[in-house]
Amino acid sequence: MAKVLEGPGMGLLQKWGLKTPNYVVVSSGDEFDQLANANDWLAKSKLVVKAHEALGSRFKLGLVKVGLDLAQAKSAVRDMLGKQVESVTIREVIVSESIDHKEEYYVSAKSTREGVEIMATTYGGVEVEANWEKVKRILVGIGESPTDSELLALSKDAGFTGDTAAKMAEFLKKLYICFDNEDAQYLEINPVVKDGNGDLVALDAVTLLDGDAKFRHKDWNFPFAAEFGRAYTKNEEEVMAVDAKVKGSVKLIEIPGGNIAMLPAGGGASVYYSDAVVARGGKLANYAEYSGDPPDWAVEVLTDKVCSLPNLKHIIVGGAIANFTDVKKTFGGIINAFRKAKAEGKLDGVKIWVRRGGPNEKQGLASMRSLQDEGFDIHVFDRTTPLTDIVDMAMAAKS
Amino acid sequence: MSILATKDTHVVIQGGVAGVNAARRMAEFRYMNKQPLNVSAFVYPPDAGKTNEVVCGTELVAIPIYKSVAEATKNHPEINTSLVYVGADRAYAAAKEALDDAHIQTVSMITEGLPEKDAKLLGKHARGLKKTFNGPSSIGVVSAGECRLGVIGGAFDNLVACKLYRPGSFGVITKSGGLSNEIIWICSQFADGITTAIGIGGDAYPGTDYVSYLEMFENDPQTKAVVIVGEMGGDLEERAAEWYGAKKRRIKLLAVVSGFCQESLPKGMKFGHAGAKEGLKGEGSARAKSEALKKAGALVPETFGALGPAIKATHQELLKSGEVKAIPDLAPADVPRLPKTVADAKKDGEVLVAPLIRSTISDDRGDEPLYQGYPASELINNGYDIPHVIGLLWDNRLVTKQEAEIIKRIIMLSADHGPCVSGALTTVIAACAGIGLSQAVAAGIIMIGPRFGGAVTDAGRWFKYAIDNKLSVDDFLGYMKKNVGPVPGIGHRVKSLRNPDKRVKELVGYVKSLGIETPHLDFALEVEKITATKKDNLILNVDGTMAAVLVDLKFPVDSLNGFFILARTIGMIGHWTDQKRQGSRLIRLFDYLVNYASPKRREVPPLQ
Repeated sequence: MAKVLEGPGMGLLQKWGLKTPNYVVVSSGDEFDQLANANDWLAKSKLVVKAHEALGSRFKLGLVKVGLDLAQAKSAVRDMLGKQVESVTIREVIVSESIDHKEEYYVSAKSTREGVEIMATTYGGVEVEANWEKVKRILVGIGESPTDSELLALSKDAGFTGDTAAKMAEFLKKLYICFDNEDAQYLEINPVVKDGNGDLVALDAVTLLDGDAKFRHKDWNFPFAAEFGRAYTKNEEEVMAVDAKVKGSVKLIEIPGGNIAMLPAGGGASVYYSDAVVARGGKLANYAEYSGDPPDWAVEVLTDKVCSLPNLKHIIVGGAIANFTDVKKTFGGIINAFRKAKAEGKLDGVKIWVRRGGPNEKQGLASMRSLQDEGFDIHVFDRTTPLTDIVDMAMAAKS
Repeated sequence: MSILATKDTHVVIQGGVAGVNAARRMAEFRYMNKQPLNVSAFVYPPDAGKTNEVVCGTELVAIPIYKSVAEATKNHPEINTSLVYVGADRAYAAAKEALDDAHIQTVSMITEGLPEKDAKLLGKHARGLKKTFNGPSSIGVVSAGECRLGVIGGAFDNLVACKLYRPGSFGVITKSGGLSNEIIWICSQFADGITTAIGIGGDAYPGTDYVSYLEMFENDPQTKAVVIVGEMGGDLEERAAEWYGAKKRRIKLLAVVSGFCQESLPKGMKFGHAGAKEGLKGEGSARAKSEALKKAGALVPETFGALGPAIKATHQELLKSGEVKAIPDLAPADVPRLPKTVADAKKDGEVLVAPLIRSTISDDRGDEPLYQGYPASELINNGYDIPHVIGLLWDNRLVTKQEAEIIKRIIMLSADHGPCVSGALTTVIAACAGIGLSQAVAAGIIMIGPRFGGAVTDAGRWFKYAIDNKLSVDDFLGYMKKNVGPVPGIGHRVKSLRNPDKRVKELVGYVKSLGIETPHLDFALEVEKITATKKDNLILNVDGTMAAVLVDLKFPVDSLNGFFILARTIGMIGHWTDQKRQGSRLIRLFDYLVNYASPKRREVPPLQ
């Protein structure tokens, strides 16, 4: 899943005929001034200014300002841009028209195993959490489309009446078309409101697209945002750039405050290693994974980043018995980065634990083992040691 | 017995290089089981009409490549299974094509990064046709002793270590490819091994889920227990639990689920496979799944590490109840082995191979070339020069500094002689005709022979003959006149006593100034004294001088032409690049440079 920020998310809704407030995304005060000269709605409307970054709880952080006139908006834009919040610098803000409204509605579409679930309720905005049982839903089977009468029935079932019921059915139809055509996995519009003309308008949207479908969406010219309420770190971005370039995969997520670094192979095994650390009361310093026989240099970059994490006590180089990832080759990349890290003093007092099997395991494990002669505090095990036993040993080891 | 991939499975592989690699792995598996290869065809439009070579034991089998699945199944009607190794952007069409073919019952897709929508559509399409769509992102399927689809199980050594040459009693279903192999290994070490292991892929909506395969395993009498390796996210494990708990099942179920770490991680942070995502309301957590499975009666060890002992305990129960019998291990001599390549057998000291060639000069099997055992980089770093390399490679010895200086001067003096001489002219003509560097220079080198530059070896040979046999100059000239002809190395087309060759003077002067023994050069100069009095241009030429000096330096006679060839190559490369740089165009001789001495135009007589 790939999260899309509000600006491009709104853009996709508009593309498929859903009405949104006017908005602009800017990265400098001057840019906003110019846009204000060119777009008269900015002078005519009350405005909302929000940080356009992958940050959770923007309200609490003071990164949402509402009910502003243009002058106030201009100063809010300048205020917010460049601000440092946690590890994130605010690089963009979104300025949108505020729409006066009485009621707030909720609609969403979600991919499920059986198809796509379309949900709607009149209890929108902040009320939806408390009224989850009032959300009405229909299932659109795989490869099918909802009929107008199904959507009208859903709309009425969800509590919409009269003219609004018909408008909501139409809105849901467009929502589904957008969802289906844009390879979305989750699309939530909350709130949907009625503007002065009685039209339904999407005020805020959560858009999760299928990143794997990027190849058939030439107009997805926006970056995907991190999904965990913070922006990606520099190291994470560098590993993602490598991942995008190579056969196989390399992944990294940093977790501040931990002291046990993970460098396991395999999307499945890596999670069992993380589970083992947590189950023994350890604190993860990161999540990492390499798989699909990536080139040695890609694993070297990943290892380099992992060794650079602060306050490390252990590095877990775990892995199951590979089917086709070459153990000797991938370990070659890890060893190169280990040597470099050691020369830079990054591995002082760090214990390294290795367990692996797969093609060329003998040679790979032997070269890891030979690092002992170079003064590494490294402990190497083969397939006869159960998968996560190295974690138990690490946690039991006296530092 | 087994499920999904059996001894009756016949495969078409859709895709290029990765597919060929899979076929090779599949061939290894079949060889281990002493069965013929079960890959009948490839579908890969760019190479349609060609064949892919697959090693089967000690043989190479050519497997045909087709443009379409229909073409493949028409020619090989036994095909009932397709493996999809096509890129994510074309994988949907490829899998659909296979599903729509009446011969094909099972499609397994290795492709990663298939859009979710495509996977859902393919799954639905397959269910509608009552066919099996496995994957995407599936490492494959392996049934011990029968069939392997894809690279699941890894290298040959691992197949044998996991006893995949004969069935056990455990079925395996995993999302992760690496863990499927791990569980296969565990089943072979803690119990009697597997029947069939299936990777369903780690995507959110795999085409076939645990339940589909649990049903099949339930109906396979050989399978007594099934191990599933689950992950947080989605509801596949819950559905498996529901299936298992719904009624009394014949098979025992063991399961582990990953993702407990999620509970102590920052919210929203997700790990692992695409499908490993928690629901918005926390459903699909590892804990919820484990609980559901336990409640349904499955054996759920607390950790992955405890899975081995749990499998062992299950196997012990099966043994005790008599449901399975212990399978004796193979005697070491009966353990299947892949035929070794000659290179490997040689490395292991198992075969003696008569060498085809013998080399006494160099060896580059290490990290850098050794010339007569000396690493090239160390020669460089110790101040040695090109003449030393020539000495090592042409005469198996390190020449002295003084000898090196003489060789260097010989090469410098003979590097080029302008564009008009046979060699350079030929290279220039070739360059103007658009011929490439190596061919154009080779054309020039072909000109080196008895009349042009190629007399060095012969001159050296005869001067050496004279010295070895202690001939006087008169006896030598007499012998040459009688038995050989003109003395090689004597005589010049344009130079003469009055117009001496500056190069000869330079070289002779230098060598004589060194005060070394030069019997051949001295002899050659004595010969010149006599011949030059007979005819003005019968002087010692550059070939003869080089020859005499190099024989004095004890270079083998047969190597002597090499000094001219080496030196002149420098010039010829220069002439070729010179013409290239100028963009020279095709040239031809002017008519006035030809003496047309052939008969004038005349009537063609009638053919007789």
